[in-house]
Amino acid sequence: MELFNENNKLASVIHKDHSLLPVINRLGIKLGFGDKTIRNICEEKGIDLNFFVETINVFHYEAYFPEKRLLDFSVSMVIEYLLKTHKYYIEYLIPENDRLIELFLAANPAESAENDLVRRFYTKFKDEFVIHMNFEERVMFPYILELNGAILNPDLRDAFIKKYPGYSIEGYEKEHSNMDDKMDDLKNIIIKYLPPNYDQNRGNAFLFNLFMFDKDLKNHSRIEDHILIPKVKQLEKVLMSHE
Amino acid sequence: MSNIPTKSILVICPSDIVLTGLFEILKGSQAEEIIQLHRGDEIFDYPALAGHFLVIASPEEIEKSSALIRKILSTDGSVQFMNLQLEPVAVNTNQAVNLFDSPALICYKANEIMNSFPANQSKDTNAELTRRETEVLKLLTKGYSNKEIADQLFVSTHTVISHRKNISEKTGIKSASGMTMYAILKKIIDVNDIDTADLI
Repeated sequence: MELFNENNKLASVIHKDHSLLPVINRLGIKLGFGDKTIRNICEEKGIDLNFFVETINVFHYEAYFPEKRLLDFSVSMVIEYLLKTHKYYIEYLIPENDRLIELFLAANPAESAENDLVRRFYTKFKDEFVIHMNFEERVMFPYILELNGAILNPDLRDAFIKKYPGYSIEGYEKEHSNMDDKMDDLKNIIIKYLPPNYDQNRGNAFLFNLFMFDKDLKNHSRIEDHILIPKVKQLEKVLMSHE
Repeated sequence: MSNIPTKSILVICPSDIVLTGLFEILKGSQAEEIIQLHRGDEIFDYPALAGHFLVIASPEEIEKSSALIRKILSTDGSVQFMNLQLEPVAVNTNQAVNLFDSPALICYKANEIMNSFPANQSKDTNAELTRRETEVLKLLTKGYSNKEIADQLFVSTHTVISHRKNISEKTGIKSASGMTMYAILKKIIDVNDIDTADLI
């Protein structure tokens, strides 16, 4: 597997791995970049070059995850990326998935009991996922940003400690493995166990979208579990040492 | 997600010319993945690698980082090393990639080593569930805990957990609600027998 670097033209990066399209959008880049290299584009748009390169590489190749370097990125940068990812899920990926699964199931009204099961499994998974994202956005991310603020600005420390006595991310931490498992199960059920008389093209369209969702979700979980949470634990230790 | 262990090649060399050259050449080998590192310790950047590995690196690099590479890579597969000889005068052997080897010869040597990787003894994922596993699955779909299932079947909780693991491996389904779906679709249980609002 070849990793990308700052001297690659972004157009050729996308030709090699088009699943990066939503990722570059989140990083603030739209199509129409001509022959510019990653470095040119990042300089032009004021995007952190290292963050850009590492983010696309981690997404591009699952086995690649340079934890030490990733831990160097600022908490606010990571959260901004995660928030944009949530927005993409809520505004596009989930509604698109909803639409495709309905098309798929509607094509085979004879199997209404099976359809109902698949729909219910998917809906439950989706509801859990949306609750999870809401929780992060309303509770966990604000806590992390305030903690980060208290580290950067000593004047804010007392107020922070008063607001969050015994502050610790451990109370907020939620394992992502459960959601990743359900996503795998949904794919497997459709691929391996669905009765054969369904509409192939609609089934494929739904699965394509689901695979995209799956890849994105696993990447997202990895960034939260292995970058964001360890970073927050570091920050908590720093704050504790100042108390 | 497949259970077949992949065969990958890891090339370690500080020179980008050599790395890129070997990468292009080794695309012709049977390796499914080729990873390029400048130094052995960059392996830390790839914590999720799995399967069997052929590592091609200079004798010095192998001496320096083979222990580390084995430690990180050999969790579920084997790791073999092959020397990278970049001195033009080096002795030509089958155990090494030499500077003037043809692409076909390099791939041949790499394939020889990769062929020696233990054959995939993957569990038969198409295997039917055993009678006992089916019983466990039925009880699972009724919402019983491992302990309750163990009591009903007069076995230890440990045995139930091991049955569950086998069910997951055979079906590819991990979550409890996924298993319920599986059981219904495979007609192991009847949809009317369970409370789907609760279990799925």
